Amino acid sequence: MAKTYDYLFKLLLIGDSGVGKTCVLFRFSEDAFNTTFISTIGIDFKIRTIELDGKKIKLQIWDTAGQERFRTITTAYYRGAMGIMLVYDITNEKSFENIKNWIRNIEENASADVEKMLLGNKCELEEKRQVSKERGEQLAVEYGIKFFETSAKASIRVEEAFFTLAKDIKTKMDKKLDEVMNYSWFKIQC
Amino acid sequence: MEQNEEKVEEIFVQEGVLLLSGPASHIEYMKLTGTLYITRYEKHENEYSTIFIEWKPNENLTIDSDIQDQEWAVVNTVEKRTRTLSGSLIPEEANRSKYLRVNFDTIKSFKVANSGRKILFNDGRGDVICTFSFQNGNSTCFIASLRQHIKTAPSRRDKNLYIVVGEIGNNDKQIETSFKTLSLFPDDHNYMWSFVKNFQHRPYETTMEAFAKVTNIGNYFWNYYFLEYLIVYNERPLDDETKEVLNKSIIAIESATTTHTQDDYEVVANVPKLPDRKDCPRSKPLTKEQWLDLQNCEGKIEDVDGIKLLIFRGGVTPSLRKSVWKYLLNYYSWESTQKERDQVTKDKKEEYYRMKTQWMTMTKMQEDNFSDYRERKSLIEKDVNRTDRAYDFYAGDNNPHLQLLNDILMTYVMYNFDLGYVQGMSDLLSPILYLLQDEVDAFWCFVGFMEKVLSNFDIDQAGMKEQLQHLHTLLAFTEPELSTYLDNHDSGNMFFCFRWLLVWFKRELNQEDVMKLWEVLWTGLPCQNFHLLICLAILETEKRALMDNNYGFTEILKHINELSLKLNVNFLLNKAEGIYRQIEEATHANDNVRDIVGLPKLENGNMDSPNTASFTYLESSADHASVNIDTNEVSYERGISNSYL
Repeated sequence: MAKTYDYLFKLLLIGDSGVGKTCVLFRFSEDAFNTTFISTIGIDFKIRTIELDGKKIKLQIWDTAGQERFRTITTAYYRGAMGIMLVYDITNEKSFENIKNWIRNIEENASADVEKMLLGNKCELEEKRQVSKERGEQLAVEYGIKFFETSAKASIRVEEAFFTLAKDIKTKMDKKLDEVMNYSWFKIQC
Repeated sequence: MEQNEEKVEEIFVQEGVLLLSGPASHIEYMKLTGTLYITRYEKHENEYSTIFIEWKPNENLTIDSDIQDQEWAVVNTVEKRTRTLSGSLIPEEANRSKYLRVNFDTIKSFKVANSGRKILFNDGRGDVICTFSFQNGNSTCFIASLRQHIKTAPSRRDKNLYIVVGEIGNNDKQIETSFKTLSLFPDDHNYMWSFVKNFQHRPYETTMEAFAKVTNIGNYFWNYYFLEYLIVYNERPLDDETKEVLNKSIIAIESATTTHTQDDYEVVANVPKLPDRKDCPRSKPLTKEQWLDLQNCEGKIEDVDGIKLLIFRGGVTPSLRKSVWKYLLNYYSWESTQKERDQVTKDKKEEYYRMKTQWMTMTKMQEDNFSDYRERKSLIEKDVNRTDRAYDFYAGDNNPHLQLLNDILMTYVMYNFDLGYVQGMSDLLSPILYLLQDEVDAFWCFVGFMEKVLSNFDIDQAGMKEQLQHLHTLLAFTEPELSTYLDNHDSGNMFFCFRWLLVWFKRELNQEDVMKLWEVLWTGLPCQNFHLLICLAILETEKRALMDNNYGFTEILKHINELSLKLNVNFLLNKAEGIYRQIEEATHANDNVRDIVGLPKLENGNMDSPNTASFTYLESSADHASVNIDTNEVSYERGISNSYL
């Protein structure tokens, strides 16, 4: 079996219904935008393999239904996620307020050391903006996570966001692996 | 011979066991009935295990007078009785040659078949060592005894297959000690866990390689044990990736221990066969002539059952749908006269506009002070804009049909505010509005459809969970092999069928096919929950693709999601009906299964569930590995409900 990648990272997109999770994913995986999108029912995922520091990283990105009612099903897929994109819509105040609920949801259902990132999507709709960039940045600082304003439609910073998240996961993972390998090597020597 | 001085402990004895196949040396005893023993010898230098399986043919001459009542004496558990081979119990040396002795060292796995009546031992190199058939009773006691001395793990692929992992009380301890003395990890399990996690991004071959190198253990038993150790003893729930890595590794080990010459062997041999599948070809759709013929002079339908059957068999001619759907969706009662229907239409129209006015006249202030309403309104807005926009009927900006969708859904919020709007509802409304092209009619027909699927939208998703559970129960009955496979690949919760059930295959079929399927399902024929049998029909069709590719949790979901727009409705309806007839006729269908499809309990209630019985047996005899996974499943379910609460 030929090895087509060096790493496999499982990522998850969460956030309120209609903030553009599927569109962000579609932009990243197919580099396209389609206005005739449909709401996500249940769960689906897309794959894109990227290259970082000469390593092939297969990103398996899970897309979930946003409505709260379906969380009982979608949280089942949180397990094993190494990175989570929290998405809100800059033209929708409520979706921004709900980010704290989503964070709580993660804390309850995902592993503690999961890498998180905050995305304010639809930033091309400046005239409809309800959430300032500063508020987004402020919230990200509060949670100690990175923040990007993106536009799936105008293809702004989507690529950058995913690459950054992947890189942070890889760094964390390499560090852990080093620690463990050094430790076991030490033990075996003894 | 020095063997004569060996101490032998008979751990277990069972009479009436037929030797079906065995080594050439015992060819003359094949098909003969004899006695099966589990014995323990004093440790022998060249042999790893001290446990043996022994079988000896019946003596023709000496009928043991102690055993008079064959019915009750078949299982004779002689606890810790010791015999010496030169002792009195075995009178003559000649008998020794008749003994078929198999050291457990040479057995890599064993498989139970024919409801436990048959047991087959594999040597892990592709050969069957020997096969026994239990003439009286079954192998349950034998296996139970075996498992007190031999550490086994049920195969992930086949519940009837047990992998021999080692001997309990002997090398079991050795391995455990080995791990401890290796001190790969600090006592903290989490630390060890992070070690494993760090390997998960690598292909599992690397993982195995790494384990082998680090622990310097080439023996696959040890690796198996190690992986099992990880699964059993880690305190944190396994994440899916890691689980996948571990499972794949275990399967790789199993492949090495399982013989592949069993193609002629029924994997699910202990499950009685279903009756033959009947072909249930589709008929022609209900025609206008038939429809009119079935109404009397007052416009009342006289043979309701007959007309439903026609619709079930062939659907409805498209031009006739506009009329017939109103009956199928309880807008009109089947027994109503034309006059009554005219009145209903009038009343319902009034009622609709009354409710519509309620939300249309809401002031900005009211709305600002009514967050629940605002939330529903905004959800509808978002979903209307992304419902079936690829179809002409809803395509383009400012399409008036979008406004209709919106208004109907908003009015439904006022009709049932507690339920409000849940994603998926716009999918259910869209084909109805497209067909009827009338706001009021579409609303009431939508109400009728919602009545049928209300539990899909329960706030705690209880209805969906129950259906997924029912689907699993049915699948375990009609396709036990697939159901076991799904269980072993983290997919026993059937979540991957969620979309099918929530919107009745709306996302899987094109518009015409959705209408074709829905009108058939609305008849309620041939049984309740027929939509679950459609699921079974799809799963059965995809079974080979899922299993032959050895798809795991993620691939199963992907494969199922990608079936969208590739399904053939007539084929599935035909198949699903065939499955129903099988369930109906199966004499071994347990009450759970019959209950789901609305069949009455069978008269011989307690006799009818060998399926359940054997399942229970396997469950209760399952060892740590699977028990632990079950626990994970439970805590994970609990986690889900907690997060909901």
